[in-house]
Amino acid sequence: MKDDGAKLGFRLTLPAQVLVLFISVFPLLMQLYISLTDWSPLAGTSWTQAWAMWNTFANYTDLIYDQRLWSALGRTALVIGVCVPVEFLLGLGLATLFMDDFPGKRAAYSILIMPMMVVPAVAGYMFFMLFQSGGPINDILSNLIGHPITVAWLSDPNLALLAVMVADIWQWTPLMFLILLAGLAGVPEDQIKAATLLGAGPVQRFVTIVLPRMKTIIGIALAIRVIECFKIFDTLFIMTGGGPGVATETISVYIYKIATQDLIWGYVAAIALAILIVLSIACVWALKRMART
Amino acid sequence: MTRALAFEVLRYLILVTAIAVALVPILWMASMAFKPIPEWQATGAALTWIPKAPTLDNFRYIFGTSTNELIATLDRTAVKPILASFLAAGLGTVIAMTAGTSAAYGLSRFGSGSNLPLALVQLRLFPPMAVMTPVMIMWAFLNFTDTWWGLALVYGIVTLPFAFWLMKTFFDDMPKEIEEAALVEGCSRARVFWRITLPMMRAPLASAALFVFILNWSDYLIALLLTTREWVTIPVYMASLSSSMTGQLYGAKAALGLIAAVPPVVLGVLIQKHLVRGLTFGALKQ
Repeated sequence: MKDDGAKLGFRLTLPAQVLVLFISVFPLLMQLYISLTDWSPLAGTSWTQAWAMWNTFANYTDLIYDQRLWSALGRTALVIGVCVPVEFLLGLGLATLFMDDFPGKRAAYSILIMPMMVVPAVAGYMFFMLFQSGGPINDILSNLIGHPITVAWLSDPNLALLAVMVADIWQWTPLMFLILLAGLAGVPEDQIKAATLLGAGPVQRFVTIVLPRMKTIIGIALAIRVIECFKIFDTLFIMTGGGPGVATETISVYIYKIATQDLIWGYVAAIALAILIVLSIACVWALKRMART
Repeated sequence: MTRALAFEVLRYLILVTAIAVALVPILWMASMAFKPIPEWQATGAALTWIPKAPTLDNFRYIFGTSTNELIATLDRTAVKPILASFLAAGLGTVIAMTAGTSAAYGLSRFGSGSNLPLALVQLRLFPPMAVMTPVMIMWAFLNFTDTWWGLALVYGIVTLPFAFWLMKTFFDDMPKEIEEAALVEGCSRARVFWRITLPMMRAPLASAALFVFILNWSDYLIALLLTTREWVTIPVYMASLSSSMTGQLYGAKAALGLIAAVPPVVLGVLIQKHLVRGLTFGALKQ
C-alpha cells in the first residue's frame, strides 16, 4: 500500500519535474557555454560550434566595465525604490479604509482592483495615450494650474521615467491593496476592541496591534512587488521603448535590446548568468533569514 | 459624533478620488475606441473626453471591413492575433494545470517531488529575458518559432508555479476522510485521485485555471521574442498598428486594447475570491 503511493506520487510529479528541468537546467548549461564565446546568431554556425569563437572570460570582464549595464541596473533599482514604497503606502492606506463596513464597499472594492486586471501591454498603451503632449494628463494639469501646458512627458529624458513609474503605480497599487486588506482581515477583532476599551487611539492601535500581526504578509507583498518590479518590461517598453535615448532603459529592456538589435548572444548569456547567480544568492539569503524569524 | 462624521466624509472623498484615478485611464481608452479620426487628438481646441460622433469604424478597421477614412489598409486583420492569443493562452493553461495539479497532488498526499516548491518559486524569480535566448535557439531548432503551440509550451512552464502552488493549497485544505474511505473500500490510489478527488475539486480547479489563463493572456515579452509574423498575439500585433506611413492609429489601437482587456476583467471578477491566494502563491487565503 505504502509503495503504491510512492510510485503514484513519482508519476504524478514527473511532468512538472521534466518541465522544470527543460526550462532551467538545459538553458542554463547552454547559457554557460555560450557565455564563454563570442557566438552570435549571425555567426553562420550553429551554437554547438560556438567553441570556435572561444574567448574564455572576456564577456565577464566586459560586463564589469559596461556603463550602460550599470546604469540600467541603477535605473531599475530607482524604479523599485520609488514604486514599491509608494504602492505599499497607498495600498495600505486604502486597505485601512476598508476595515469596517460601509455602503458601497463591494462595488468600490471591485473597481479599485480593476487596474491590476488590465493586460500590462494594454496599460502601457493607455498611459502612452494619456501622456501625449496633447493628451488628458496635460489637459487636467492645465485646468488645475489655469494656463495651458504642453509637457512632452515621454520624449523628455527627465520626465519619461516618472511617467513610466506613474503607470506602474497605477497598475500595481491594487495588488498591494488586495494583499494588505486580506492581511488586515486576519487581525483578531477582539484584540482591537480590547485596546480601544483600554483607551488606545487609532494610530496607537494600528502600530502596536495591527502592524506586528501583519509582518509576514507585508513581507510577502513587498517581496512579490520587488521581484516583479525588477523584471519590469511590458508597460515600459510600450510607453517609451526604453527611450528617449536610454532614459528609461531598465535591465530587462537593456538585455532585450542587445539580444535583438546587437545580437551579441555570448555577452547576453554572460549578463543573464551573472544576474541569475546574484538573484539566487539573494533568494537563499532571504529564505534563510525568513526561516530564522 | 462629529468626528465620526468627518471620518466618513473623508473616507468617501478618498475613495471617490481613488476610483476616479483607477477608472480614468480605462475610460479614456474606451472613449478613444469609439472616436472618429478628427477627435483622436486635440487640435488647438479642447480635448474630446466623450466622443462627439461615436463610431464603430475603429473596430471595423481592425477587422478589415471599413477603411474609407483611414489612408492605409492593414495587411492583415486582428482576427488571427486574437485567435493566437486564445490558442496560446488556452493550451498554456492546459499544460500548466495538468502538470501543476498532478504534481501538487503528488506532493500533498505522497510527499513526492519535495524539491518542486522552491524550484518553482525560483522559476518565478528570474527575469524571463535572462532565460529566453537559449529558448529561442531551442525553438528555432525544433521549428517551434512563430507557432501558437511553441508559445503555449513556454506559457505552460512560466505559469506552472502558480498552478502548482494554488492547487497544492487547495489539496492541503481538503479533508482526507473521503479519500481514506474510498481506499478502505478497495479503490486504488490512482482511481481515488481520478474518480473522487478531481471531481470534488472542480470549483477550485476552475478558479486556478482561470487565474492561469489571465496570466498567460497578459504576456507580451515572450510573444514578442517567439512569434514573428504568422502567430503574433494581440499585444505584439497592437504595437504594429503604427507606422511612419500612418502615424499612431490611436483609435484602432484603443479598440484592440479594449478587446484584449475584456477577458481578464470578466474572469477576474469571477475568481475574485481566490485572487489573493493565487497572487501570493497560496501563502495567504482570503
